[in-house]
Amino acid sequence: MKVSDAKVCILQIEGTNCDEETYWAFKRLGADPEVVHLKQLIGTGIPHGMKRSLSDYQCLIFPGGFSAGDYVRAGAIFAARMKATLAKELRTFIGAGYPVGGICNGFQIMVELGVLPGLGESMTPLPEAILDKNDSDRYECRPTLLKHESRGNCVFTSKLPQNKVVMIPCAHAEGKLAFPKKEGDRIVEKLIENDQIVFRYVDEDGNYAGYPWCPNGAIYNIAGICNPAGNVFGLMPHPERAFHRFQHPDWTRTGLGESGEGENGDGKVIFESALDYIGKKF
Amino acid sequence: MRTIKKYFEGKGRNPTNIELQSLGQAWSEHCCYKSSKPVLRKFLFGLNQPYVIDKGDAGVVEFDDDNAYAIRIESHNHPSAIEPYGGAATGIGGIIRDILCMGAKPIALADPLFFGPLDAPLDSVPEGIKHPKYLVSGVVSGIRDYGNRVGVPTIAGSVTFDESYVGNCLVNVACVGIAKKSQLVTNSAKNEGDALILVGGHTGRDGIHGANFASVEITSETEEQDRGSVQLGDPITKEPVIHVCVECAKKGLLTGMKDLGAGGLSCVTGELCLKGGFGAEVHLDRVPLKEADMAPWEIWVSESQERMMLAVKEENVQKVLDICNLWDVSAIPLGNAIKDKVTRIYYHGKKIFELDLDFLTEGPEYERPCNLPSAPIMEEAKKAKAAKPRKFGTYGEALLALLADFNVCCRDWVIRQYDHEVQGRTVIKPLQGKMNANGPGDATVLKPVEDSYRGLALSIASSPFTTAIDPYKGGLAVIDEMCRNLAAVGAMPHSYTNCLNFGNPEKPERFGVFHEAVRGLGDASRAMSLPCPSGNVSFYNESHNGAIKPTISVLGAGIVDDVRKCVTTDLKCAGNSIYLLGETREDFGGSVYSRITGRDGGVSPIDLENLKSGVAATVNAIRSGCVAACHDLSDGGLAVALAEMCLGGSIGAEVNLGALGALPTDAKLFAESATRWLFEVKTGEEKRFEAAMKGLMLFRIGTVGGESLTVADGKKQAVCENVETLRKAWAEPLWNVMG
Repeated sequence: MKVSDAKVCILQIEGTNCDEETYWAFKRLGADPEVVHLKQLIGTGIPHGMKRSLSDYQCLIFPGGFSAGDYVRAGAIFAARMKATLAKELRTFIGAGYPVGGICNGFQIMVELGVLPGLGESMTPLPEAILDKNDSDRYECRPTLLKHESRGNCVFTSKLPQNKVVMIPCAHAEGKLAFPKKEGDRIVEKLIENDQIVFRYVDEDGNYAGYPWCPNGAIYNIAGICNPAGNVFGLMPHPERAFHRFQHPDWTRTGLGESGEGENGDGKVIFESALDYIGKKF
Repeated sequence: MRTIKKYFEGKGRNPTNIELQSLGQAWSEHCCYKSSKPVLRKFLFGLNQPYVIDKGDAGVVEFDDDNAYAIRIESHNHPSAIEPYGGAATGIGGIIRDILCMGAKPIALADPLFFGPLDAPLDSVPEGIKHPKYLVSGVVSGIRDYGNRVGVPTIAGSVTFDESYVGNCLVNVACVGIAKKSQLVTNSAKNEGDALILVGGHTGRDGIHGANFASVEITSETEEQDRGSVQLGDPITKEPVIHVCVECAKKGLLTGMKDLGAGGLSCVTGELCLKGGFGAEVHLDRVPLKEADMAPWEIWVSESQERMMLAVKEENVQKVLDICNLWDVSAIPLGNAIKDKVTRIYYHGKKIFELDLDFLTEGPEYERPCNLPSAPIMEEAKKAKAAKPRKFGTYGEALLALLADFNVCCRDWVIRQYDHEVQGRTVIKPLQGKMNANGPGDATVLKPVEDSYRGLALSIASSPFTTAIDPYKGGLAVIDEMCRNLAAVGAMPHSYTNCLNFGNPEKPERFGVFHEAVRGLGDASRAMSLPCPSGNVSFYNESHNGAIKPTISVLGAGIVDDVRKCVTTDLKCAGNSIYLLGETREDFGGSVYSRITGRDGGVSPIDLENLKSGVAATVNAIRSGCVAACHDLSDGGLAVALAEMCLGGSIGAEVNLGALGALPTDAKLFAESATRWLFEVKTGEEKRFEAAMKGLMLFRIGTVGGESLTVADGKKQAVCENVETLRKAWAEPLWNVMG
């Protein structure tokens, strides 16, 4: 299908607050994004004209924010509401191979939903991982450098060469990816085997490094993962905040790039890759 | 009271309880500015420019042909002193509503904060007062948890420490919004019969009498008596309210909108309708309550948070209710705008309140007795110097001490807790330079409109240390600093909003200080042709040990034609030249150096013509592309500014100050003379840069490069410090105290 026909559902509830910039990331690339409230998919208690169906879209994005305030575990309430009402639709959507992405709080929601890391089945009954409180026990708003580790499985980074380092800023208090005690190593092995590790935090020399380069203390410096099939992807840092080069923290030092191809931020390729995949596959 | 008695004698009846409560709110200093208005009228109200669109709850100023920005600052001092976390959070909530009710989407928060010294011994803090460290931690957490949750980036601010804020910290909160001109809303109902819809949070007993509380001095009994005056904020009730209000404004469904702040329903209902030339009829029993047994007067004056009042044409009411319903936001039609200019309240069908709106909302105005100070105020000048002067063996040691001063050191402990990037508009960040080098910025620049490179630069400025000694010059200084900051990124100053934090206006000498400071502010604004479309006055900032330093804080907005031309403070490239613009004198009055070493000197004079030409030349030079970095000189003077530029770039510089003439070396390094900037000019662009600065006092003082900052004065070496040594001094102090 043509990219201009690709309908992207940017899903929000109260407290989701990165919907607009995520909308623009897709809009700038010529797709057809729409910001949709979860109640519009659930469909009860609202006027008919507001109702929407997941099956109308080719891509689903959980944007960043503080859904429902994140007063329980981050993302838990959004996930619980969705699981109670739309589990079947979501499973079908993922099964059909459509790209599903989550950024920051969106990643937390997807882990709570059980769709990431998605080992064994597309949506596990219980979460298999957690995005725990940062080691610093603080909210961390800072630029981070990510090394692209996917060997080609993840549809959201298909246009990014392996081992390339990109700058994508983070802003979260709970971003430390962790697995059940004693199973960490085994699961990391499994993720590597399945080509599910997409991004890892590195320092300016490209080495896997500690704080502040890794802002949260995540296992194996992991910043983003995908499911075994590669169409479901979650990332703690915010690619929509690095769409343009002039959003980078040091662009006044490093320049805006060559004209024409210039001014592209490092996060743009994530959205381009997803649309490229939709264009080719559907 | 006499005015009130006369009014009810004329009506031939006694006032009801709810009527008296209502007058008490509406006529408090906080709501009607009864003391400050004559002074503001004299010096500030006249400041205007054709591009100012509205002066409502927030000022609305043209951004480009199609868009406008809304801007406002206000104080949340007393609540934050009692309950720092909740006080600061609700401050953010309140200022966001002020922007929202102009129909604008909030896109930036900025918070100037003022506390007692972080290292104050515990037993020096009077009974009933909280330690500065506790207050800093609570206030920053409150701003973080509210601002981050509602998704509005906190992009600028300041933290200032001084003895005078021990008993009365200052928490000023500012917000900026953006709107298509076509979606702007005024704070007034437009038609008779317009429905008044109460939207958002439920009403409870929190925040009753907050407006009155804001207008008294803090004592040791304050906490016991007034905790109930502090409202409770709830960002996750607010966040959907933002969506609802912006969407309703975009769809043109509103005739007017106003937020419920001080005085709650009692203030908003009257003001919304009266401004449109109407009265209001309200059914109080329809208000959704947190506690069922609230008396009508409590409902009427409660300051519960997260509430907005919308005026809506009858035909649009259902559409508004549908939008609210999607977001699960409570929306209740309470009544209507009516022809008679009265407020009538019904409670379960019975009329319990009827007051003429002119009488209710046109509060009294006082001509306070005023003793004008003769500057400098000697007592303050003495206090501004170190009580126990420190002596340094070398200027390098002095520089390290200045960099480690709590009023100078790195603010990353605060800034990185705030999400300053949400919404993706932040092009020039509050921390600059190499990644994780955390160089300081002068102003933050946002790109607010999707299909335009035009930028909005924002910067906080304040000048309590100079205002205390010389109020008039302090008033000038705050505008000087604000304009320097904006120009340093390449932005032309465009408008600003001010928060005037002063002591008890009933004391004539305090009121005199207020008068002079505002006169200075007005003169500087006029010289710079700067409109001030909104502002806020906070009096009674006093406690056991007297008044706070008179504190004007401003949020300045500047315009950048193309964000891609902006520059930052960090040094970029070895070999580039370093220039100083502006005159240096022995101006140590109110300076950091004087506070540490006891050095004598007066408050810097400010030549407004010079400021004007300096700003224009700086902006032109930056736009022409020959400038690699620019930083204004403020706290700590030239040496600190140079060091900060080195820190951001992680590179050294070699400088000689011989060209500055016969001044003492410490003045060249640390004096805080106004209206100065440092520039890093790209190699080969020196001629073009010098041409742009023609006619101004410009000195080529050095070159970028090496691993150390070395400063000589003629043949004498003054400073030679490794950049990483400077970084250690500057980066750690806040972390060491705050953890």
